[in-house]
Amino acid sequence: MMPLTRLRIRGMLIHAVLFIVLGFWMVPQIYMLSIGLRTPAQAFDAELFTWPVTFDNFVTVIRDNPLGAIFLNSLIITVATVVIVVAVSSLFAFACAILRLKGSIFLYTTLLTTLMVPLASMVLPLAILLQNFGWVNTYIGLILPYAALGVPFAMVILKSFMEDAPRELFEAARVDGCNAWQTYWHVALPLVRPALVFVTIWQFIVTWNEFFLALIVLTKSEMKTLTIVPMQYSGLYMANPGALFAILTLIALPLILLYVLVQRAFVRGLLAGAVKG
Amino acid sequence: MRAGSTIAKVGRRSASRASRLYLFVLPATLLFVVFIAYPILWVAGQSLYVGTSAGAVFAGLANYRTVLGDPTFWTVVRNMFLWGVITIPVQMLIGGLLAYFIERHTHALRGFFRTMFFLPVVTSVSVISLVWVQIYAPYYGIAQEYLKRVGIVMATSPIGDPETAIYALIIVNIWQWTGFSMLMYIAGIANLPSEVLDAARIDGAKGWRLAVHVIVPMLAPATKSLLLLGVIGTLQTFPIVHLMTGGGPNRASEVFGTFIFKQSFVLGDTGSGAALSVIVLVIALTLSLIQIAALGARLTPAARQHP
Repeated sequence: MMPLTRLRIRGMLIHAVLFIVLGFWMVPQIYMLSIGLRTPAQAFDAELFTWPVTFDNFVTVIRDNPLGAIFLNSLIITVATVVIVVAVSSLFAFACAILRLKGSIFLYTTLLTTLMVPLASMVLPLAILLQNFGWVNTYIGLILPYAALGVPFAMVILKSFMEDAPRELFEAARVDGCNAWQTYWHVALPLVRPALVFVTIWQFIVTWNEFFLALIVLTKSEMKTLTIVPMQYSGLYMANPGALFAILTLIALPLILLYVLVQRAFVRGLLAGAVKG
Repeated sequence: MRAGSTIAKVGRRSASRASRLYLFVLPATLLFVVFIAYPILWVAGQSLYVGTSAGAVFAGLANYRTVLGDPTFWTVVRNMFLWGVITIPVQMLIGGLLAYFIERHTHALRGFFRTMFFLPVVTSVSVISLVWVQIYAPYYGIAQEYLKRVGIVMATSPIGDPETAIYALIIVNIWQWTGFSMLMYIAGIANLPSEVLDAARIDGAKGWRLAVHVIVPMLAPATKSLLLLGVIGTLQTFPIVHLMTGGGPNRASEVFGTFIFKQSFVLGDTGSGAALSVIVLVIALTLSLIQIAALGARLTPAARQHP
């Protein structure tokens, strides 16, 4: 069968090219791990791979640094932000798409402008505002601004999913005597589950990796998150790249692992509500 | 507006109970007012005042004149222009090609490729920046070493030379965010109506002709969203530059983010920091609204389109 073999060869060729491109694409991550696994003697070698490898750097940095506490700071801020964003944006989307409250579309359009505001132009006023609130070096000082910045994106996605849901279900809920809160909780939220999952994962990634505002709001070392500690380690381990890159690997690892675990659900949510031609 | 009748539909209730429904929109509105609208108004007001030993004094547009007269401002404008003009199309091109081949030519490994190319997006930007500093480093970094082996000799580190620093940073940014463009195009390709593709195939469109004449135009919504998000993303560039060059050497790689950071938090010049914030905001709103009006671009690539 001629055409089949040609198709098979083309398929293999495309896979080969994708693997080569991926190999180059992964160089920074491979290099990071590779330096983390080096002995002090090899640490400054200008090579991607060296041999032998050692786990000593990982043992040292885990023993010497409060990585657990820093991880916990990131986790608290991120989880709280995600919960607030999902709750607040789904309530708002429900009011726009299902209740169709008077004035809600005007509010929706107003909140939407947030998506056009670059964070760079918000850091100065937010820093002053948080200072006046006494919220510098507090969790809440990052959580609420992050939530305010995250709600508009989530609200757009959830609103469009709710608008696509069959209206008869909401009618049926009304006939069954559900009030607005019950309809929101028992009908609307379960219907838009893929969108909720998508919004949750995306907000988690964005919040976990946010750098600019965290840099300004968190100045005390015991409050710092995983995203902003690498700078201080680059000074601390300047003469010891092995240790520096071991700790960078550990800092990057949690979100990478999490994404690998949830990527299927994330992409499913994205595809379910994706761009239509 | 069907709003009035809908409130009646949800339940025939008194005005006070209907107004309780506004509790649904209250939290989002409060967050917006306190943490978005109020800070923007405050910074706009503050940009008109100059700090002196006796307190802030109204100074009209003096801060704007100072900022616009600063040569660094024009370096920033040039860098931001280069950043957007290079980053956005290159990311679209690489991301689009990856999406096309992954979606249309892989099966068992599709999830694997989708995930691996997206990993830079979920890798902490501060980690990425320090890794790339090491890659670019003279003597012990791999970039110079490997380029030397293929005959390209660099006199200095690419981020240590004012001529090349901004391009070296742009490469890092492209590397980090191409996975995002890829995923947006994957969503677009996966949702192409199969009837149209079949019809095109019957008409004899195959391979590149199918890709260029049928698929690319049908992905226009994703492309427009990526352009819009790319412009806003460019204007808020900060961590890569702050961590890798600090805007240097000699302010050659300064961007709006690092410029605002220095004026506001290093020099403590709130007036010019505020003026810069307003300028960035006005540029972002203007460019966004132009794209939305002229191209029909949408701010959220993942949202469905409604007639």
